[in-house]
Formats: sequence, structure tokens, C-alpha cells
Amino acid sequence: MTMTTPRPITSALDARFKPTLYARVGKENSFTLESYRADGGYEAVQRAFALGPDPVIDEMKKSGLRGRGGAGFPTGLKWSFMPLKDGRQHYLICNADESEPGSFKDRYLLTEDPHQLIEGMLIAGFAMRASIGYIYIRGEYVLGAERIDAAIAEARAAGLLGKNVLGSGFDFDLFLHRGAGAYICGEETALMNSLEGLRANPRLKPPFPAASGIYNLPTTINNVESFCAAPHILRYGADWYSSMGTEKSKGNKLFQISGPVARPGVFELPLGATFREIIYDFAGGPLEPIKAIIPGGSSTPMMPWNDAILDTPMDYEAIGAQGSMLGTGGVILIPQDYCIVNATWNLVRFYAHESCGKCTPCREGIGSWMTKIYEKLVRGGGKPGDVELILDMSDNIAGKSFCALADACLGPVVSSIKLFRDEYDYLIANGKSQYGGRSRWAEE
Amino acid sequence: MPYFTDKQTVLEDIFSRYPQTEQGRRSALMPLLREVQNALGYVPEAQMEEISTLIGTTATEVKSVMSFYSTYHTIPTGKWHIQVCATLSCALAGSDALWDDLTETLETVPGEVTPDKLFSVQKVECLGSCGTAPMLQVSDIGYAECVTRKKLHTLLEHLKNGGEFVPDTRVPVFMQGGQQLDALENEVGGRTADLEPLPMPG
Repeated sequence: MTMTTPRPITSALDARFKPTLYARVGKENSFTLESYRADGGYEAVQRAFALGPDPVIDEMKKSGLRGRGGAGFPTGLKWSFMPLKDGRQHYLICNADESEPGSFKDRYLLTEDPHQLIEGMLIAGFAMRASIGYIYIRGEYVLGAERIDAAIAEARAAGLLGKNVLGSGFDFDLFLHRGAGAYICGEETALMNSLEGLRANPRLKPPFPAASGIYNLPTTINNVESFCAAPHILRYGADWYSSMGTEKSKGNKLFQISGPVARPGVFELPLGATFREIIYDFAGGPLEPIKAIIPGGSSTPMMPWNDAILDTPMDYEAIGAQGSMLGTGGVILIPQDYCIVNATWNLVRFYAHESCGKCTPCREGIGSWMTKIYEKLVRGGGKPGDVELILDMSDNIAGKSFCALADACLGPVVSSIKLFRDEYDYLIANGKSQYGGRSRWAEE
Repeated sequence: MPYFTDKQTVLEDIFSRYPQTEQGRRSALMPLLREVQNALGYVPEAQMEEISTLIGTTATEVKSVMSFYSTYHTIPTGKWHIQVCATLSCALAGSDALWDDLTETLETVPGEVTPDKLFSVQKVECLGSCGTAPMLQVSDIGYAECVTRKKLHTLLEHLKNGGEFVPDTRVPVFMQGGQQLDALENEVGGRTADLEPLPMPG
């Protein structure tokens, strides 16, 4: 008798693939406790209570889940960093400050299934001995904030939050904190400063949040989607979770696609599904010729539009091998007829606006110089040597800023020059681009 | 008159979310600012002073924090504060033209309020609605999504005529009964309901 390992699931078209994170989206009143419970909600946390905190962390480690906010750090490992028996108050924070351009997956987890997030945070809080949690939601997500607030109230009234949750002896309470329009708050230490009522400058690491986070106490911060994966891992098991994905990128993930495609939106796919699958099978294909793919949110380097890239599996390693990153899974397609320098300037301007001003490489490099050179280029005032100057500046900024924001800006800058140097040169030589810099706006 | 004098319940609710410590009180800063701004349309200096006393800091500190975030205003805004997303996915869907049309139609620029006190405008960065671009946010209420020229003008007329803003709630997620729909609306993959949950331990 021979033992065969089943082929891993790497396509959402595979009959064995079952969406979980968004499975309840579209159901009537999916955001209510009644609806969530009718679908087996809050059973996973009872399983967690029965297992005990350490086996829960082991299960998370075994699942292979990696942080879905963009960095991809193993979630179970992160959970195990919390000092377990130090007697101090532990905090849990959900990073719902989704603001990386091209990313809009967490928004619908918050509005359509808030109890899934609350259950995920209960499981995490139990595993990490944290009795207080905060959901830091970006200020603009008004409906998300309303639904989360209502869900917290429902859960509290049902004994799912507060003292002695479901008779387990575990105390956990949860609060919502609304941000106010600052991309940098997605950086975990900046988020903690913001939650403390300070300017959201990032903090020096170490100490890492698990040692000294919010109010100088042990803290763990996870993305919305990471917390939402926890109930499913507890419910169906780590083996189920790791049957999806590739060797080092396990599980399912919410991918977003925007730009000129027939059906932009969010799709739940196993890691390892190809760009071709999301672009053609799910988003219905491009509406015009495309020249570049931003694979995972604005900070991930652009990739060229060709068969090799289209057939690249969307997982941490395969995209990394192509010189970019999986990031948040926010795919943006840039059409052939849109000036790449203009598209890059749009993102440079974003990062310049969002630079917190703490460190010189980012404040002066991105916030002032980079944005001014790009503005000059798109206005037709470029001079020979400008591209070399941008590359030289990039070299001097890369890895030298206080946090990752400046490096994030260099993603589109350096990759667009590498892939489309001819467009930069043409623009500089002729004072205008061979392509347009404004997209047509739909009349009705 | 101080804004919070007759709003003790609001204050208690806000402070109850944070620890009863010096640092915990300071955490109430952002919710307090939002409370004032939603009522007055901006945060006047007198309220910066008032909030600073409530959380045990100085008005300068309050203003410093306010200046860090895009949401807080130190000058009055219109009844409807319209914020247009200008970042890439929206730009690819025509947000530059949308912005021009909006400012030309209202004959206004950022920092001003229209003479009828109804509108103010602001260009903002990515609002997390890339799947329904181009889009705009109205005050602290919600989003108008997939905004066409016709939709923009219908909205402006509606608000000018005393109408209320009703946010869009379209969700660009294509699920049906726990199963995902491909671009041709075929159901693909399996259903979560078919998955067997693990037995309870013990």
C-alpha cells in the first residue's frame, strides 16, 4: 500500500477549496450575533477554552498562518513572544487601519462579519493571556466602526465579552478606537502612539511590542484578516488550513484587484493561485491593454505584464523571486496608455503626504526632494540626469529611514525606472509623455 | 460656553474605554476631538484648550496632535465636507476630472466654504475603496462610490435642495451561499458548510 499526500490546494477553482473568511458575506444581516451564531459562530473559541492557551498557540504555529497585513511574519510565532506568566496586564490590538493604496479587504471583514473578528480576538486574547483588546480602525471607515461597536455591545450583552467569558474563567473586554487619517498608523508602533493620543511617529524597536507596547505593557498587534483566520483554524484544524497554499505560504487569503478590469473587487483564494486566475477567472480580464502589475499594494515593486508574471503563483516566495512582494494582496493594473511617470508620481505624492516627519531620509528625501523632482518631470521640466539623481537618492534612502515608509515609496519608484526607463527618457527629452496622465471619467 | 459642560455621559463613555491612568486619559484625545468636530465642523481654539484640561496636557500639545492627522480641521467646514480620493486606483478611474468638475461646479477651493455654507472640499489620499473607484467621502458619514459625472451632479443637487446624504453600501465581493462566483457568475469551489468542524476536546 502506498501513501500519497493529496495535492495542495492552490486554486479557488479547485472543488476542494472552500472560502471561509468571506463565506458569510452577502447573507442577510450577516453582521448580527444571531446570524453569526446560526452559522456556528463562537464555537471555535469554546474549543480554544477546552484546549488551553498553549495548545492554541501550537495550533496557530502548525497552521502556517503568516501576518496578513503585509509583512508576512508567522502569526503563531508572534503570539508565542508574549511573556506568559509575568503578572502584568497584557494588551491585544487589531490593526484595522487599512490604508495601503490598492487594499480594501479588511473593510468588508469589518462591515459584513464583525463577530468573526471579535471571536478571533477572543481566541488570541485567551492564548496570550491578554484581557483587554483595542480595535484601531481607520477614521474613514464609518460603517465599519458602527458595525463593530454594535457587535461589541451585542457580544457584551451575551456574555461573550467581559468577566468570565462563557463560564471559562477568562476575562476579556474589547474597545474600538477610531483613527483620523494617517497611513503611518498602520505601522504597529506608530499605531500605539496614536492610541495613546500622541502624534503617530513610529517608536524605536527594540523594545518590541511584546515586551513593551501600549502603555509600556506587553502588546501584540495583528491585522484584521489574521485575527479572522483564527476561528477557522481552531474550528477545522491546522491540517485543513495548511492543505491550502504552497510549501511556505499556507492557507487562504483575501486578494483585491483594482484598475481597469471588468469586475474589480475582493476575492478569497488559496495562496499560490496565479495572477492569471484573479485577473481573468475572477475579475473578468482587463478592459484595456495593461503594461504593469502592482502585486500587493502600492509599496510593492511593479512587475511587467507578461505570461511569466501572469503564471506566477501569488505567494510570498514566488512573488519574491520575481523581485516584488505579496504585501496585502492588493493587485493594481496600470494600463498601457497611462504615463508611468505620472502613475509613480501619484504614489510618491501619497508617501510624501504620509511621511510622519520624524527622520531625515524620509522627511527630506521622500517628503521634499522626491516629490519635487517627480512634479517637475510630469510638468515637462525634466533634465538629463534627473533619473540618475532619483536612483542616487533612492540608494541613499533605502534602509536608512526610521521605519519602512520611505522604503515603501521606493518600491514603485525604482521598479518603474527599471521597467519603463524609456518612458522617463522620452518625457525628459520631449517635455511631455507619449501617453496620457489623466484617465477618462465615466459620464454615467 | 465650554462644549463638554453638559455632556458628562459622553465624557464618561469615552474615558471608560481607557485605563484610569495619566496615559489612559491622554488616549481620550482623538475621540474627544472627533466629538467636537462632528458637532461644530471644526475644532476651535477654545475647544483645544478645553480638551487639554480634560486630558491633562496643554492646548499646544492638542494642536500638535491635530496637525498630524488629515481629518481634523482648525478652520470651519461646510455642512457637507466633500473629500475626493486622489490616489492611484481612483486616478486610474478618472478622479482628476472628478475633482476638477467638483471644484468648478461649486466654485470653491480647499480651505474655503461656499457662501451658502453648504460645501467645503478636500483632496485626500486612499480611502480603501479601490474596488469602487472613483469615490468620495461626505463629512463623517460615509462614501459615495463608483461616482460618475451624472452621479456627482445628482448628489450635489440633492444636497443643495436640503437632502440628506445616504452612503453607498455596495460590497464588491461575489459570494453566494458560502460559495464564490467567478467572472461568468458560475459557482466555483466548494461550500464552507460542507466542512466538518473538529470535535470538542475532552
